[in-house]
Amino acid sequence: MALFVLRRLMLTGLMLFGLVVITFVVSNVAPSDPAALAAGPDATRDMVETIRREYGLDRPLPEQFVRYVGGILTGDLGRSIVTTRSVTQDLARYFPATLELVILAMGFGVLLGVPLGMMSAVLKNRAPDHATRFIAVSLVALPAFWFGILLQLFFSVQLEWLPTSGRLDIASPPPPFVTGMLLVDSLLAGEWETFGDALRHAVLPALVLSFPCLASILRVNRAEMIEVLSSDYVTAARAHGISRLRVVCVLALRNAMLPTLAIIGLRWGWMLGSTVLVETVFDWPGIGLYAVSSAIAGDFKPVMGVTLLIGVNFMIVNLIVDLLYGVLDPRLRAGA
Amino acid sequence: MMQGFTIGRRGAIAAGLGAAAGVAAGGSAGAFERDGNRKILVFAGGQPVPVIDPHSRYDWSTRMIQQSIYDALAKYVNNPPQIVPWLAERWETSADQTVWTFHLVANAKFHNGDPVDAEAVRYSFERGLRMNKGVAWMLKDVLPPENIVAVDPRTVRFTLSRPMPSFLTFIPLWFIVNPKQVQAHVVNNDWGEAWLTGNPAGSGPFRVRRLEPQSVIHLDSVPEYWKGWPQGEQNRLSGVIYRIVREPAARRALLQRGEADIITEIPADDFEQLKGMRGIRPEDHKGLTTFAITMNTTKGPTADLNVRKAIAHAFDYDALIQIHNGAATLMTSPFPEVIPGYVAVPDMPRRNLDKAREFLAKSAHPQGGFELEYVHVQGLEDPRRIGLVLLNSLQALNIKVNIVAQPWPTMVARGAKAETAPDMVSVYVTPVAADPDVIAGKYHTRAQGNFWGMHHLTDPQISQWVDAARVEADETKRNALYAEIQKRVVELQPEIFGMLANRRWLMRDWVKGFSYCPLRLTGEVDLHPMWIDAR
Amino acid sequence: MSLALPRASFAQRHAASLRQWRFFAWSFGRSPSSMLGLAIVSAFLLVAAFGPWIAPYPLDAEGAMNLANRLKPPSAEHWFGTDEMGNDLFSRVVLATRTSLWVGLTIVGIAGAVGVPLGIAAGYFGGTARAVIMRVTDVFLSVPGLVLALAIVAALGPGILNGIVALSIVWWPGYVRLVEAKALALRNEPFVEAARAVGASDLRILAVHILPNCTSPIIVKASMDMGLAILAAASLGFVGLGAKPPAPEWGAMISVARTYMPNWWWYAVFPGFAIYLTVLGFNLFGDGLRDILDPKSNRG
Repeated sequence: MALFVLRRLMLTGLMLFGLVVITFVVSNVAPSDPAALAAGPDATRDMVETIRREYGLDRPLPEQFVRYVGGILTGDLGRSIVTTRSVTQDLARYFPATLELVILAMGFGVLLGVPLGMMSAVLKNRAPDHATRFIAVSLVALPAFWFGILLQLFFSVQLEWLPTSGRLDIASPPPPFVTGMLLVDSLLAGEWETFGDALRHAVLPALVLSFPCLASILRVNRAEMIEVLSSDYVTAARAHGISRLRVVCVLALRNAMLPTLAIIGLRWGWMLGSTVLVETVFDWPGIGLYAVSSAIAGDFKPVMGVTLLIGVNFMIVNLIVDLLYGVLDPRLRAGA
Repeated sequence: MMQGFTIGRRGAIAAGLGAAAGVAAGGSAGAFERDGNRKILVFAGGQPVPVIDPHSRYDWSTRMIQQSIYDALAKYVNNPPQIVPWLAERWETSADQTVWTFHLVANAKFHNGDPVDAEAVRYSFERGLRMNKGVAWMLKDVLPPENIVAVDPRTVRFTLSRPMPSFLTFIPLWFIVNPKQVQAHVVNNDWGEAWLTGNPAGSGPFRVRRLEPQSVIHLDSVPEYWKGWPQGEQNRLSGVIYRIVREPAARRALLQRGEADIITEIPADDFEQLKGMRGIRPEDHKGLTTFAITMNTTKGPTADLNVRKAIAHAFDYDALIQIHNGAATLMTSPFPEVIPGYVAVPDMPRRNLDKAREFLAKSAHPQGGFELEYVHVQGLEDPRRIGLVLLNSLQALNIKVNIVAQPWPTMVARGAKAETAPDMVSVYVTPVAADPDVIAGKYHTRAQGNFWGMHHLTDPQISQWVDAARVEADETKRNALYAEIQKRVVELQPEIFGMLANRRWLMRDWVKGFSYCPLRLTGEVDLHPMWIDAR
Repeated sequence: MSLALPRASFAQRHAASLRQWRFFAWSFGRSPSSMLGLAIVSAFLLVAAFGPWIAPYPLDAEGAMNLANRLKPPSAEHWFGTDEMGNDLFSRVVLATRTSLWVGLTIVGIAGAVGVPLGIAAGYFGGTARAVIMRVTDVFLSVPGLVLALAIVAALGPGILNGIVALSIVWWPGYVRLVEAKALALRNEPFVEAARAVGASDLRILAVHILPNCTSPIIVKASMDMGLAILAAASLGFVGLGAKPPAPEWGAMISVARTYMPNWWWYAVFPGFAIYLTVLGFNLFGDGLRDILDPKSNRG
């Protein structure tokens, strides 16, 4: 087991290096003068040169690469030209916001996907089943950025039920910083008003973000449930006088747990990536918005940082899912 | 017990410190933010404020915050713009305009109580010059740092290395920092830049309560501000919240719901719809940001003056106004009108297809049949639309246009060299000071390499005039030179002279104290005199 | 005397496969959602093919301008209303279909052309080749596709071609994964061993035995990916990195239209609906194909 983890970790390290190479190449394909961005429009050439030196942009590319890799090893992801802060600092500031959104979205996915999938299976080939399946396909097909805007217009502008964008109302002071996730921090501080405010802001973006994941979870649970329903267990259990509903729920839930977990693992990195769109629509100050605004401005260190962060997340979560699989599924453990 | 600090809107959101949470203010009367019995002005704009260090960077939102936290020796106010004394109560200059002496007010204090003295002024200018960032370009060629002398605690003398009539026009842009606070935070000879990026050390009307560069900046008014409050102590705001809301539609929604008191960066069509609404007051003023499409004068078809003239006469200038819903004026000279020395140049090119075809016929491409690249900054909407206008206009000459969006750094990198500079580039230039030299300098050979010099124009005549005018102390002679320059530039047509878009804000009608001054940057507002008139 | 055998008709010679195809068609036709998918995809292809004849104002996608007619709501002349340059939105939405089709086909085509051979090679040859190919694939799989594509397009500059390049770069690993597993399973099948025993070259085995047996999952994935690639390209368009103006593209249209919500709702609603329908169509169609071609595959 330890050997397995070690091997995976080494492999992960190798993959990370690959990732760094890719991002570095990408950010240097086009001729660009990021220093000009920091220096401002009126700067003279020697002022731009000052900035170039300060950011190490005057060095040859191979040297910049070596420095960048060296920096990563010490947790330094370079400096953003736009914010002037270190990318690590910026990520530490924005990542909790994204994490909050993704976790909430995962929550929506599981809480809605599991029961809907089961219901769909129980009512197989009846109207609710068709409707649910159609919705599942639709959720994947809906452009998140477009549907997000429509929801925003309906719930925020039309009905004025929910705020349009951001994480908190303009004047709400944020709760004392603990995790950076406002929902958690406000709870820790016992600030219920702030919690409610943060939740109202998070509902729509999290919902939109959860759609594809929700669809997958729904499908898996439906499939598992159908299998369970047609299995001998149900008949046997019924013979023992246990209520059908109970058998079905317990069995199906247990069977669906692994694939649901696998989906969460698979979707984790993917969801972090798609926050790029959702955060743009909802002006959610997380790493997605950070990546987009930096990319558009031509400031690539933050984009590289975000890519790496998501890549690392993806790898780690995959590792955890693999390990959990081993723990949860005795067959796999015996086989390995 | 703690003073009840409550921020409430319609009483709906009452957040409190400690036990004071129950004391909800507001009620249903007003929709503005309250803080105790004072009000908070909420400003929503699309641009973040990454850096509050006044010497390292500026743009409109950053300047607005810097101007609120810091003071300068003088300040731009009113329209037409005037320079009024601020930290300096008066100043004088030698006859040849090389020695400038400023006398400071006696009562100015930094937020921590230190007096604003001559040494602070000297240090701040030295810091700006030595850091060689942000504002440095304005004075670095004429003002060696050792030429700044604190004569006595209330007198500073600047000795310039050459006469500079426009010296004073830059003074309002150099903010004074507290050297004691800065020096305590210097790391690796950085002039305290790392610290000052996110921490204030000023004497201005506001101090910082909360600073989240990408989402919200909350400023508190300084009750004992040395310059006082023009709206009266009674009406002084508790503070200002500048909230970064990137989407225009979201900013509009905030204003309509009364959650923001003032917004800017408003799409033309939104402005039309909202300006007449009850409870909303528009501010719509002639701006001084010039929009031009520079053409590469050194390579490709646009190297040919006749082609440039043809393009300039084919361009649909009316459409330029139309896509701004009328909120723009066409340029009548390469200079904006507010700049001293401006003259209206006769025969500015306007759409005239016959003339355009005539010019084209005289060129090496009488039938057109070529394609030009038009580059604009990625993410900007107006230049994209103007690109469509250009594309449409040039169809009449059988010239194709390839509209390309690029990030600013890429565009600048390409434009720095004549060989790689695009055929056409959309360029906005906002003069930061009333200095004609800056505008005229756009057509000097020294402009090459800067983004406004992407035309790579080389004209010894213009360069010579610009050099002569910048040191000419006699105003009449100087203005005569600038008049010549303007005419000559139009003749050489290094760019399509476009328009000056209006600067616009929408605010709730309870917002008072707004005053427009063209020499602020695009969305910038002077927050000091503002207040909210409502119970 | 030779017995004159009646020459077998086409139907007779191919009776088995014809029967299978008929069965496929029958089971596909039995599923309403598959048929809906087929209908949408067909409509999409027709609109793409005949766009210029369908669009009432085809010039509006080539840089026409009618500023007097800006932002007009849907009407008899302009079914979907007009945009901020006074162009007919219906025409632009219709003509953008071709852009999307092209985008989808190219991305999936390139991804398949790169991914399938690599996957087959990895699965069939195994050993070091497999290790190297799969590690590189894993790196790319761990990259957030959209973010990387965003970075690439931002660096190269917006435009459909750059979008295609970027999305192809992040798209191919999926095919390697898919095909590798299949090829790995096939390499030890008796018929492959038999072919190898009679001295068939690797290339021949790959072409004749391995590849054809991988086609079902590839077709299913490709049809699903058509929709997803179109969606991804639209997403790039939405963050402002889409087609160069004046070329019509759904994502880019929504990106501009966003500013005009909600007062000029039609501007964003119709292009968005077009994306939704197209992606939905390809998804339903792909689902249907999977049910008949590849019924055992995991549906997660």
